[in-house]
Amino acid sequence: MAQPQSKATRRDFLKLAAAGAAGAAAGPWVSRNAQAKPVSIAFARESSYVKNFDVHFQNVMAPAYEKATGIKIEYQIQAAGGSAVPQLVSMVENKNGADLAWTQQEWLYRDALVDVSDIAEEVGKQQGGWYDEIKRLSIDKGKWKTVPQANIGQVMNYRRDWFDEVGVKQFPETWDAFLEAGIKLKAKGHPFGMSMGHGFADNYSWLYPLLWSYGVTVMDKDGRKVALDSSETAKAVEYVKKLYKEACIEDCIGWLDPANNKAFLTGQISCTNNAYSIMVSAKRDLPEMGKVIDHGLNPKGPTGQRYHALVPVTHGVFAYSKDPQAAKDFLRWTMDPKQFRPWIASGDMYFAPYLHGFDKAPEWDIEPRVKPFQKVLETGKLTSWPAPANRQHGEVVNRWIVIDMFTKAITGTPTKTAIAEAVSQIKTIYG
Amino acid sequence: MSKILEASRAGALAAPARRPFRLAAFMERESVFSWLMLTPPLLFLLAFLGYPFIYGVYLSFFHKEVARAASFVGFDNFVRLYNDPIFWQAVRNTIIFTGVATVLKASGGLGMALVMNQSFKMKSFARAMLLLPFIVPTVLSTVAWQWILDPGMGLFNRLLMVSGLAERGPSWLGTPTMAMISIIMVNTWRGLPFFGISILAGLQTIPVDLHESATIDGAGTWGRFRYVTLPSLLPVILIVTTFSIVITFFDFQLVYVLTGGGPANSTHLMATYAYSLSMGAGQMGLGSAVALSMVPVLGLLLVALTFFVRKD
Repeated sequence: MAQPQSKATRRDFLKLAAAGAAGAAAGPWVSRNAQAKPVSIAFARESSYVKNFDVHFQNVMAPAYEKATGIKIEYQIQAAGGSAVPQLVSMVENKNGADLAWTQQEWLYRDALVDVSDIAEEVGKQQGGWYDEIKRLSIDKGKWKTVPQANIGQVMNYRRDWFDEVGVKQFPETWDAFLEAGIKLKAKGHPFGMSMGHGFADNYSWLYPLLWSYGVTVMDKDGRKVALDSSETAKAVEYVKKLYKEACIEDCIGWLDPANNKAFLTGQISCTNNAYSIMVSAKRDLPEMGKVIDHGLNPKGPTGQRYHALVPVTHGVFAYSKDPQAAKDFLRWTMDPKQFRPWIASGDMYFAPYLHGFDKAPEWDIEPRVKPFQKVLETGKLTSWPAPANRQHGEVVNRWIVIDMFTKAITGTPTKTAIAEAVSQIKTIYG
Repeated sequence: MSKILEASRAGALAAPARRPFRLAAFMERESVFSWLMLTPPLLFLLAFLGYPFIYGVYLSFFHKEVARAASFVGFDNFVRLYNDPIFWQAVRNTIIFTGVATVLKASGGLGMALVMNQSFKMKSFARAMLLLPFIVPTVLSTVAWQWILDPGMGLFNRLLMVSGLAERGPSWLGTPTMAMISIIMVNTWRGLPFFGISILAGLQTIPVDLHESATIDGAGTWGRFRYVTLPSLLPVILIVTTFSIVITFFDFQLVYVLTGGGPANSTHLMATYAYSLSMGAGQMGLGSAVALSMVPVLGLLLVALTFFVRKD
């Protein structure tokens, strides 16, 4: 929590005045009266797979802000992989915790966030404009409730050497070709491992895009009518059943998020959908494997379209904070190109900004195998797409209704029944 | 004479001379001392169990979403759950999970206690080691189980393959049936020592005379077990089983870490479903209703158990 200064002594006043002068010299970020500013701001963020990203923040950015303003930044690193949401929910319900945070699943607590439109619009103007899709998440009732930081791209992670062995020189362009390659690879003892369990990203990052590429969405554009009940859904479900049976490792329908990383790194699978954390781990711990890992875009479906699911990182300021303005000032400072560009660069583009100003960033060319993650921004959609990203959509995702539609069909429920059950549950949720 | 009598009556009726109040004597009174001892744990229970429970009951009658005000909806949350197939699947799963795991733990624990009651070398060390599953934090041991159950690299499948028993081990967490078997197995592993040690303590209180009398009367090993050991142990088994049912019924960590309730909700327990509704979907009222629904189900199970044991 922002800790306001009280009972300032003469010495404290001199210190604050000096810090205020330093702040003024640092730029327009600190818009506040030096005497009223807090002594610290708590910033909660999910632990990054790219350690340097957190290290850069802790060792470079936080001390720089403290030096410029006198405000100490308490960097609260939360557990990764969906575990952050309960912590955020708890903070919001108890009105106690960090002043600003990585607002995972922000639709759950938008009402508890302050308006940050001034920051988001300024950043957009300054850095080439925002990608459209992310606006549908961060803007609520005409106001920006969060400032998007970046997307964690999810694409196909595959073993290039094993794909080469079965004669697949280019990553498959269509889901049908993907299945064909999978059948060949499974026959060689290198099955695919496509997550379908109750995880938080690696499951929907390919199943939702697959549905979309079959021309199916869960809801209509207004989020009023369930659109899942269609013959194309049945085709997509049948495809996944076949893919699972003929190309995948049996375990993958029960996998939580860390499972596919583990299976890939232990050589049990040849392909999975994931962020590039697998490559990061392999380069660090298994250099030989690190050389033969590559990334491919999600294949195209019968509609000829290719999609990816966005995994957004956005930052928001909690209204319960003792000094939301101080937290906003800090957020504005982090988004200034002077701070923002080196911060993003420190993460090796693991976090891809939703700003067109980064489209031609030289960092994209340092590691060619990272390049596909830039394309995710162009074809990426929110899991609610085309409907609004609201609480109902969150409930559908967090109760794994669409994911379980596929796994139920795989485990013996007739496809029509699995779809009907999912549709019925979604109707209940949307009311 | 009558005056004398009246005077003596008045004297008898008059309040006895008050002794000066002494704090130490007051506190030594049984009624005061017992309340003094009871108050701290009662306050603790009220604060950390009573308040959340009452708040949970309150929430279950409200439509309460994260960061929004609550609105009273009566039994609406329960009606919604009544029509929710995932809820009923979670109820079924919880009953199967609790029932099977408790039977396995009780029978295994009894066996463990009978073995531990024998004299053998390093008995104390063996007893201490058997407590390990109970001592290690659940999350930690469950992560270890994740590795043990891994289809390719896991200990179980490696052993199966190396020993030649199977060409390829089963997918322990990859099919609904195997996933349920796996979580029951891990829960049993963790809960067995609790039964074993408690029953062992019960075994050691059975007077040797009873066994001697039974032997003189011609009872063999089985007879002594059936007519002496088991009836003497029954009160202990009942208490331990009751505790175990409560703990197993509310189990959350194990399933959350191992399967998250998947695949296809096949291992979703009421506790994990309540959590996913409250903390994942932000439906605090609905999640609380699931949690509250556990109370009558658990109550029924406990009543049935008590009835069964008394009948026996």
